[in-house]
Amino acid sequence: MPYRVRSASSVLALLVVCTVWELAVRLLNVPRYILPAPSAIALTIVKYRDHLLLNLFDTLLTSTLGLALAAVFSLALSTVLAYSSSIREAIYPLLSGFNAIPRAALVPLLALWFGLGMVPRVLTAFLIAFFPILVPTLTAMVTIEKELWEMLVAFGATKAQILTKVAIPRATPYFLSSLHMGLTSAIVGSVIAEMVASDRGIGYVILSSTSRLDTPLAFSCLLLLALTTFAISKTLGLIERRVVRWAYRAGL
Amino acid sequence: MGNYLIKLRDVEVRYNNRNGGLVAITGINLTVSPGEVVGIVGRSGCGKTTLLKVIAGLVKPTRGEVIYNGSQDGGGFRGIGMLFQSPLLLPWRTVLRNILLPIELRGEDLDKYVGRALELMERMGLKGFEDSYPWELSGGMQQRVALCRALIHRPSLLLLDEPFGSLDAITREEMWVLLQGAISYENYTTILVTHDIREAVLLSDRVIVMGGRPGRIKAEIPIPFRRPRSLELQYSREFNDYIAEIRGLLGD
Ligand SMILES: Nc1ncnc2c1ncn2[C@@H]1O[C@H](COP(=O)(O)OP(=O)(O)OP(=O)(O)O)[C@@H](O)[C@H]1O
Ligand SMILES: [Mg+2]
Repeated sequence: MPYRVRSASSVLALLVVCTVWELAVRLLNVPRYILPAPSAIALTIVKYRDHLLLNLFDTLLTSTLGLALAAVFSLALSTVLAYSSSIREAIYPLLSGFNAIPRAALVPLLALWFGLGMVPRVLTAFLIAFFPILVPTLTAMVTIEKELWEMLVAFGATKAQILTKVAIPRATPYFLSSLHMGLTSAIVGSVIAEMVASDRGIGYVILSSTSRLDTPLAFSCLLLLALTTFAISKTLGLIERRVVRWAYRAGL
Repeated sequence: MGNYLIKLRDVEVRYNNRNGGLVAITGINLTVSPGEVVGIVGRSGCGKTTLLKVIAGLVKPTRGEVIYNGSQDGGGFRGIGMLFQSPLLLPWRTVLRNILLPIELRGEDLDKYVGRALELMERMGLKGFEDSYPWELSGGMQQRVALCRALIHRPSLLLLDEPFGSLDAITREEMWVLLQGAISYENYTTILVTHDIREAVLLSDRVIVMGGRPGRIKAEIPIPFRRPRSLELQYSREFNDYIAEIRGLLGD
């Protein structure tokens, strides 16, 4: 489908969903604190925009910091692990073991160690985001075709050269696309940390508003969070297409 | 035989895999003189690629030895050029940067070789494609790029493993002419592994016939036609006698 038709049809679908939702809430007389109508959510966003934007900014700040940390750390670690198979064999099981710990359960500990400031929120975002970035990046680095590897060695390449000239460029598209997954994970991390150990951020607003049965405010939070995540993800996608155009050569 | 470039003495390669060892080649004695083109034919699995890898230094012989003349006495062994059945080009690099890869790996000044790269490209009919990406080229063109890359550093030894196996008959004949031109122009010592008896006889000074399980040298047939040879030679009586002889040696 051409792009215009496609986006027009998704806008249409969205309108249909909102209309059905609005009508259902009104006709069935669903109380606001159970399910607010789209119009009520929109009004709430307008009414509390300053409060919401401030907290949204806070969440985005901690989650993008966490994501940036996770990206840098994953790239560095996968380079080291790709370089040395003995380090990889020693460390990788530990990492997978760590990944098996539900990171949300760590938030109280992080708060205990680092207080209620930004640090535990950034750390939670980082801890949840880094594994989904590490795995595809590392896999791409260590799965160079045998023949290519042998050809490079025959040309006199050192291991470090193979890493910098082949493994890292080869892993770049995987790394960049894993940032989408990393982004949503980081936001989940920040929001969880805000709910457990913070007095700010979208997670905190959701928690406090639902405890006051202010459901429209909670929905406003969800909507804003979804919209911004979507926008960041789109931006990442644009960068990706620019940087690694060669990886999309089949034009899919 | 005082003057040789490479000498294999009683070489054996045993691969260790799950169900014990597998002797891939055994009792290989082979001397290659400078400027000689040696063709190697044999049935699938008889150890041709293994033999090439031993010569390239990618696999260590489990018995016997491989001696490079010139590497010990500092006589300037300029390394190996390799070409496989698949071009193994790096999709994130332009054609020119792919061709210059061996120079980059050797840490030499790239600028000094750009002129040579362009000249090689012109001889291979690739003029004007230096800034294209490999995936924008046809299979035959990609293989010509790989041939330029194999030649860019004026290697002392050119190793070809079924280089034209994936090309159609007409393109293959074109590649024979180009390869032969490149070999005679700069007098490359070449080892050519192929399934195609015609290709071996047309391009080689000597054809080695290998037998399998474990792989060993069955016969060495000198091909006395003067190089460079024209494609028409294929239709001569003498040429076809060689084909028949080698076909007979390969068995049923
Ligand atoms: N890395 C390896 N580990 C274990 N066995 C191997 C390995 N490489 C090759 N072999 C075995 O060694 C034997 C020779 O393989 P080789 O690839 O040298 O044959 P070939 O003559 O090049 O075959 P083809 O014409 O099909 O390319 C085969 O039986 C193969 O299974
Ligand atoms: Mg082979």
